[in-house]
Amino acid sequence: MTSPTTDDLQAITEQVWLSYLDPEGINPFLPSEEAPGMPCVIAAVSVTGAWEGHVVMSFSEPASKLAASALMGMEDEEVTRDDIADAVGELVNVIGGNVKSLLPDGSLLSLPHVATIDEGVNKWPAAVEVCHLRGSWQNEPIAISVWTSKSTG
Amino acid sequence: MKILIADDSRVMRQIVTRTLRQAGFGGHELVEAADGREAHDLAISEKPDLVLSDWNMPEMTGIEVLRALRAGGVNVPFGFVTSEGTDEMRQMAEQAGALFLITKPFTADNFTDVLGPILG
Repeated sequence: MTSPTTDDLQAITEQVWLSYLDPEGINPFLPSEEAPGMPCVIAAVSVTGAWEGHVVMSFSEPASKLAASALMGMEDEEVTRDDIADAVGELVNVIGGNVKSLLPDGSLLSLPHVATIDEGVNKWPAAVEVCHLRGSWQNEPIAISVWTSKSTG
Repeated sequence: MKILIADDSRVMRQIVTRTLRQAGFGGHELVEAADGREAHDLAISEKPDLVLSDWNMPEMTGIEVLRALRAGGVNVPFGFVTSEGTDEMRQMAEQAGALFLITKPFTADNFTDVLGPILG
């Protein structure tokens, strides 16, 4: 079975940035090897059915705020925690939906889950990473990864 | 015309609203629903001329809303705006009576192309 690749994530991410986060092409998402440290904001959707796994985005806290303000057309300081949760949840939903289109028919996408992690680890039980894309946006790190459950991978 | 925008994400409802405006459809009356059940109820009580609905929503999914409306004899023009655009879903949407399926991420040009013939 074909699995999503980093190139797929790159293509999807470019579309999302051009449509919503950087329509004027001024602040693109630039690939880099830096992953967001702690604290960070995690947004994830799960895929179940024919393919099982997760699509996960992690943002530095400033990156999550920048994303919310860009999506909502608001100033950074006006953005609330609810706005951030809604915004990053919708971003992972859009990216997850596009990843899902690369997966076999009969896969179902969950609603997004969003959490802020101050310290410790973020673990996906019984899952292995299929691919990831790391980059920076306005000098803040953002990472996207696809994980598959070991039983179906 | 009255347009019902159904999406559980407030951010996305705002983006849809902004994109409608950018696509030249800013003059229409907009009604918002934050989940599938509300979308179903407002599609009946508000009698919109068009429903733009997310697929994956709490309470009822978009396809469940569409099927329930059609089963109840409500034939409002209905289209999906969703992150999932697989052939499987397009087929399900069409069979249930949807006019179109716009995938996220979308641009104002996508809205113009798809909604132009409907909104004029």
